Amino acid sequence: MPFIVAFVLSYLLWLVLTAGTNGLLWSTQELIAGLIFSLIVAYATRDVIGEKAGRFLNPAKWIGFIAYSPVLFWGMVKANLQVAWLVITGKIRPGIVRVPVDLENDAQYTILSNSITLTPGTLTIEACPEEKALYVHWIKIPEGMERLESSEPVAGPFEKWARRLGR
Amino acid sequence: MGVIVRTGARATIPLIGIFGAYIVAHGHLTPGGGFQGGATIAGAGILFLLAFGLSEMKRHFNKNLYSALEGIGGLAFLGAAMLGIGTAFFYNVLWHNGPFFNGKPGTLLSAGYLPIMNLAVGLKVFTGLVSAMVGLALYRRWRK
Repeated sequence: MPFIVAFVLSYLLWLVLTAGTNGLLWSTQELIAGLIFSLIVAYATRDVIGEKAGRFLNPAKWIGFIAYSPVLFWGMVKANLQVAWLVITGKIRPGIVRVPVDLENDAQYTILSNSITLTPGTLTIEACPEEKALYVHWIKIPEGMERLESSEPVAGPFEKWARRLGR
Repeated sequence: MGVIVRTGARATIPLIGIFGAYIVAHGHLTPGGGFQGGATIAGAGILFLLAFGLSEMKRHFNKNLYSALEGIGGLAFLGAAMLGIGTAFFYNVLWHNGPFFNGKPGTLLSAGYLPIMNLAVGLKVFTGLVSAMVGLALYRRWRK
């Protein structure tokens, strides 16, 4: 199964890179060469990509990722404007907070951590799956939020999405 | 490295590998070629070494295989150069009257022996760079 995932991933990238060799589509040579190179790459990286990566071949998950992209984009727009305001006013209260999260696997931690880092003002420093927590550097900690009970104030709806997408 | 770097490396190492293969295979059509593509693929190997650590790399790295592949890369380059030895060294016999690699310029199977040489150089550079990095990482200790 990891072999198939690595093969699909690399063949998709090959198709994206070589699109337009035959009109808008692909010439036969490119398709066959991509097949060969993808098989080699997939064979070489079958141990790397992870045992349970097969769940990302589920089309329902792709729809989930597409549905997630506007949520993430809107979060980034809002947070960028907020940080621009913080830069102008200079009223910051930085610090590192421990954010308890309820996630099970590495992919969920990666999605949530990258989402938190992409929304400015918050920056994931360390993800600790053992203690089910993220350590997040926050540029402006609101009063009384130094000890968090949930990830809601830092991540907004992202934890729910990360749990669903990485499952 | 932490869990985020490791998971990111899991997803990106196949992508870096296929992008390097793309650069190598299109060396006669687009910018890049054997060395650049080989160095790109070696970057994937070094990312594996950095993200998963030396002990994991030791389990996956086969010294004899990499050494043999580097030699094969060099020999394939030399063999492609010797193909037209009847006329001259490095004579591009595949392009002038060869059975394959003589398609219309701009397609993948054109330019005679150049794709073969690019693949050979890419293989050699990839295996050589990864072997060098693993060799440096394995160096016994800081102080005797």
